Amino acid sequence: MAGIRDTVGRQSGRAPLVTRRSLLVGATAAGGLALAWSVWPRDYRPNLTAAPDEHIFNAFLKIGDDGHVSTIVPQCEMGQGVTTLLPQIIADELGADWRTVAVETAPISPLYANTLVVDEDSAAFMPRAGVPDFVADVRGWVRREWAVRHAVMLTANSSSVRMFEGPCRDAAAQARVLLMMEAARRWDANWQECDTQDGFVLHQGKRLRFGELAAAAARLTPPDPPVYRASSTDPLYGKELTRLDLPAKVDGSANYAGDIRLPDMVYAAIRQGPFGATRLKSIDKKAGLASRDVLYVVEHERWVAAVARNWWAANRALDRFAPVFETRGPQISTDRIDAALSSALAADGWRIAQQGDVEGAMEGRTGIAAEYLVAPALHAPIETRSATAAVDGDRLRVWVATQAPAQCRAAIARATGLAESAVILFPMMAGGSFDACLDHSVAVQAAIIARQIKRPVQLAWSRAEEIMRVPPRAPARAKMTATLNSAGGIDALVSRIAVPATNHEVRARLFDHIPADIAQRNAAGKADAAAVEGAAPLYAIPHHAVDHCPADIGLPTARWRGNADSYTAFFTECFIDEMATRAGSDALSYRMAMLGDAPLLARCLLTATTLGGWEGGLSGSAQGLACHAMRGSYIALLATARPSDGGLQVEQLVAVVDAGRLVNPTIARQQVEGGLIFGLAAAVGATTDYEGGVATARKLHQLGLPKLSQSPEMLIEFVDSDREPGGLGEIGVPVVAPAIANALFAATGRRIRRLPLSAHPL
Amino acid sequence: MTKFSVNDRPVEYRMDPETPLLWALRDASNLTGTKYGCGTGDCGACTVDIDGEAIRSCLVTIAECEGRLVTTIEGLSRDRSHPVQQAWVAEQVPQCGFCQSGMIMAAAVLLRGNSSPSDAEIDAAITNICRCGTYPRIRAAVRRAGRVLRGEERIAAAPPPGIRPEDAARAVPAMRAPPGS
Repeated sequence: MAGIRDTVGRQSGRAPLVTRRSLLVGATAAGGLALAWSVWPRDYRPNLTAAPDEHIFNAFLKIGDDGHVSTIVPQCEMGQGVTTLLPQIIADELGADWRTVAVETAPISPLYANTLVVDEDSAAFMPRAGVPDFVADVRGWVRREWAVRHAVMLTANSSSVRMFEGPCRDAAAQARVLLMMEAARRWDANWQECDTQDGFVLHQGKRLRFGELAAAAARLTPPDPPVYRASSTDPLYGKELTRLDLPAKVDGSANYAGDIRLPDMVYAAIRQGPFGATRLKSIDKKAGLASRDVLYVVEHERWVAAVARNWWAANRALDRFAPVFETRGPQISTDRIDAALSSALAADGWRIAQQGDVEGAMEGRTGIAAEYLVAPALHAPIETRSATAAVDGDRLRVWVATQAPAQCRAAIARATGLAESAVILFPMMAGGSFDACLDHSVAVQAAIIARQIKRPVQLAWSRAEEIMRVPPRAPARAKMTATLNSAGGIDALVSRIAVPATNHEVRARLFDHIPADIAQRNAAGKADAAAVEGAAPLYAIPHHAVDHCPADIGLPTARWRGNADSYTAFFTECFIDEMATRAGSDALSYRMAMLGDAPLLARCLLTATTLGGWEGGLSGSAQGLACHAMRGSYIALLATARPSDGGLQVEQLVAVVDAGRLVNPTIARQQVEGGLIFGLAAAVGATTDYEGGVATARKLHQLGLPKLSQSPEMLIEFVDSDREPGGLGEIGVPVVAPAIANALFAATGRRIRRLPLSAHPL
Repeated sequence: MTKFSVNDRPVEYRMDPETPLLWALRDASNLTGTKYGCGTGDCGACTVDIDGEAIRSCLVTIAECEGRLVTTIEGLSRDRSHPVQQAWVAEQVPQCGFCQSGMIMAAAVLLRGNSSPSDAEIDAAITNICRCGTYPRIRAAVRRAGRVLRGEERIAAAPPPGIRPEDAARAVPAMRAPPGS
């Protein structure tokens, strides 16, 4: 650890986010804008609030007279542990005592923009291929500048640590220097000779608590560039610290948006029309209002809400209001979705990535092809969409879990006609999310209801609404085509993937507040590199190409834990297995032969197969492999699965992950365990059919989500690494379905090319 | 009639007797640790202890609770000292936490009757759904809580709430006691 910490800030990974060169280029291009990134500008401070005995050091840090250290977390806690990880990084650099560390959610501010996600996702709109470096750099700067100005504080893409480790460390380093400067002033010493440990500034046997120094230190001017703490004998970074949110999560005191209680508050339930151009046509107002405990009904163009003294009474009354919706245009159905995917696959597409000369390599040779189909995937968090809203004079207060707070606030302001400054957003923890909290409709609806009834109100969607109205991760169909060399290895590979241009839809909904059905229509036919992310293999295949065939399926689609990688890995890893079988080769050695340029992935694969006792993929072995890389992390999975009388039985998952250096190994392990279970759910269910414009599933048990009894034995190992941290939230998800499908092939000799697997009994 | 005991206090709910217990707890008693996840008994996030049984509170009406003893996550212990709560923190079980009240209540009821359940008994008793994937840790935490209940192990993983500043300052050198204490 020491070696890493000593070089903090001098290596590219932790360097300021905007390089000097791109800043200059950008300034020229965009008219003289300049931001001081290395030290957080104090000008942005007014946006944080402090208690009378608290002192604001910068956007990430306050220290109290009593010695408590308040860390500010600009990401949504949805189970991934971010409210422990970022504080742990800060406390480590600061030299704080972990027992003094507290967490606050960040207010909306440009200081907290997640420029990394915007940068990564920009590929969706501006494929980099063919753009000269210099131009790409200018665009990169403009993108980041746009993200900052719009305070795009996205929680997404497993990016929390990758994005905020640097800023958190900078912030802590700055505060640490100020504390040392103040201590040195009192001791008449040189601050460079001071150090910090366990919440004290130390110098030649003397020590002062942070709390005693904070008030004066916060007023000093820090040196530029930041000075980092040298190695510690007992670093907090890398320690298995207990998550800060756990005590409140075992006694029921952790509050989610639906747990807010306000004086005079009432409860709302909602019915929304089907996806598409829907309007509320009629309700039976008299019957509904006659329901016991019902107080108000609020009608909107696309929904109706009943408000009552408790949520159950409100939801029950909705049946009596008997809302009728009218939806124009063709109705969404599974058949129509499948037909749209098939026709998109047959039509022209966009070439998103290419290496070598695929056409030349394939010409005159017999291609081997297979088609795969993946159903839409539901988020299905246990918390349904919930928000609480209260009018407060000219202002509106809203409590909601959101992965994009600035855009949520903007959506509320737009829908209510209030100025954004009049909307006060309280970011809450999410009960799962899995990217469902990128949808802000519940916050907007709660705001509208609160303003109409002039009372504090809490809106929670029923489970049926949650299943039917949250756009799912897109369904996809792929045609994989390969030509082989004389040894049976892959010479050329084309991954042609029919899938909606989801990221255009998401961007239009999130940033331009365009209704889902219109965003869906507008996105039709557009190229979306992020919709086929993860399809370009790490295997050394001389000629390969990835095509996106945008499918107009009528159904709005959304981001989801694992995003496109969750289906592209299924396509690639199943197809590679098929090619190995065709070559008469062991699935492990077939992969290893092509992983010469991907040593990190190769190492994961070798370790996983050693740990799990790979039997060579013999028929009847019931073992399957898959490996994948995304967000700077690598994973290999060995699954043991076979059909049984009770359905598909997944017996064991052995995963090896290289996610770079780990801030907190326990949380890292939780994320991989969780990702594997989430991937398992999507392999066997977490989907619905659509008929007549709506999901056919209404209840949770219809989604086939795994329970404890179906949870396989898991063995997870992390590769020791000094690399920059990779993402952990999603890395477990994509490999599960292909590894199980490959295991089932080994067990039965039957190849399943559709997800979910369980919908197609063996 | 809707008179019964919640967390050792007598209550009478002036609500429709058909109201599911979940909503009386959440919206009338403000006991929000019990969660709504489905309303159909599938997810188990609303699990409470009724007369020693783990019951989905969305499936039982307040009329059916008449005269019974209901314990929610808030009443499991006053200070997070219940072995299941301690084991849950020691094994770092929760992620998003939303389903965890129900999981903990189901585990507490199971262990009260059987402090060393087999895997099959754990699987049969805990049918709740967790989307974050805490399952492997739940198995480990139930076994560990069982060891605590059998007196084989002690855990002090989760601190009690409401620590006084003076006590914090005594335990943590970096903290200062408030003036006048």
